[in-house]
Amino acid sequence: MSTPSEAMSGDISKGLIGGKRIAIIFFAVLAVMMAWRVYQQLFAWDMGMDSFEPEFQTYWMNLLYGQWIVEFVLAAVIWGYLLKTRDKDVFNITPQEELKRMFTLLAWLFCYVWIVYWAASFFAEQDASWHQVTVRDTDFTPSHIVLFYGTMPAYILAGVGAFLYARTRLPQFAENISIPFLVAVVGPFMILPNVGLNEWGHTFWFMEELFTAPLHWGFVVLGWTALGLGGLLIQVVLRMITLTQLDGEVLVTEHMNDEDGSKSGY
Amino acid sequence: MSAVHTAITTAEQQHRIYKAFDWIIIPIVVLVIIGANHIHAMLTMGDWDFWIDWKDRRWWVTVTPIALIFFPAALHYILWNNFRLPFGATLATAGLLIGEWANRIANFVGWAYFPLNMVVPAEIIPMALCLDAILLISRSLTMTGVLGAMLWGIIFYPANWVIIAPFHVPIEYNGTMMSLADLIGYNYVRTGTPEYIRIIEEGTLRTFGEDVTPVSAFFAGFISVGAYFLWLGIGKWFGLTTWMKRV
Repeated sequence: MSTPSEAMSGDISKGLIGGKRIAIIFFAVLAVMMAWRVYQQLFAWDMGMDSFEPEFQTYWMNLLYGQWIVEFVLAAVIWGYLLKTRDKDVFNITPQEELKRMFTLLAWLFCYVWIVYWAASFFAEQDASWHQVTVRDTDFTPSHIVLFYGTMPAYILAGVGAFLYARTRLPQFAENISIPFLVAVVGPFMILPNVGLNEWGHTFWFMEELFTAPLHWGFVVLGWTALGLGGLLIQVVLRMITLTQLDGEVLVTEHMNDEDGSKSGY
Repeated sequence: MSAVHTAITTAEQQHRIYKAFDWIIIPIVVLVIIGANHIHAMLTMGDWDFWIDWKDRRWWVTVTPIALIFFPAALHYILWNNFRLPFGATLATAGLLIGEWANRIANFVGWAYFPLNMVVPAEIIPMALCLDAILLISRSLTMTGVLGAMLWGIIFYPANWVIIAPFHVPIEYNGTMMSLADLIGYNYVRTGTPEYIRIIEEGTLRTFGEDVTPVSAFFAGFISVGAYFLWLGIGKWFGLTTWMKRV
């Protein structure tokens, strides 16, 4: 994600989004999610109902092990690459370069939230439909293998990747740690360890009959932390204002819309 | 950092960059709101929203508006105070409905084979339009909290009348009177059916009329007012632009 577009070498304001890379991110993530969903459609009801059947081991546990291997390899490669290729002169880059990198960070964030949608919305609520018609006899159900051990590690890969990109390539983020960014990455990351609480509770109480059970509220609170992207958005906007300031233009970086600068409207 | 802070020289470049920023930031905001609001909603009021038989006259009317005002309030704080954008509630609810509909069709119907009219999500856009309109007109989060959040709770049930009415028709089945929604529910027994019996089917909640619904709606409005202000504070916290040297 380091090369926004070829048009960048001319006018800095052209090709900043990098339509090609956004399209690649969009369709690549979509393809993976569709593959998971089709696999469920083909093998969940026929091979995923009884974890003691040999077919379950073949079709579902092997998928789980495969996912784990791929996830660990991708984490090592992507995060390792970002750290290894870090900019060692990050505090001396030009504003043009910083602007380019800011849009690359936004591409990372797009990748992150696109996967968050599939994990927190599509596959999370899908889990309710599965557990309303089956009684679980394992923590690794066909819906959990995709949701907890597939999509969630996937957004962690992208979220931590975005954070590392900013820390290693953008001066503002390299100099200090953005707390809202940290919250927006670490909070959703903690949903994965919270699966431990979830499975622990289900093992004792078999509460799948109620999706709103307090046992699930750890996911709720940690899901709220995605709102940290709001604080990050404001940090990015404030920096973008500086980077796109014209000669003689007055900077407005606080209470952006308040005429008298006060906290009106509250 | 570099002594020269700006990356551009002309207003045209500035305008182009602003537009580019909008094009990339809007999908980011929409996607994260769908994801975060949906996981919040499904785990705080989801059982009522999933099933037609759970859409009763007391709990559904009470739980759903209260649970769903959290994100609109937080987004009101972040989007209104920083950008003067008055559509936080509509964004939150429309995003939630996109997530819900995609999932109900692809998974509840397409995977678990429930009929679609059993799993239609509640209508929540009218409440959001009112909340946002009051913010837009009053330009005050306080007024929006007092008036808008109360209205938010009160109009939830009327907003769903058209959807819910055919399923609340009383019918007699094997000598027992029940609603059509109940009959559908009994034909699709789920692992949630025991909780349905414990929570919804309890005697006093099964009334076909009287004042249960308006009382529940006003109670939902009352709690929604408090929840709105609480979540303004939480939205403020999430919108802080804090930097730290170390964590």
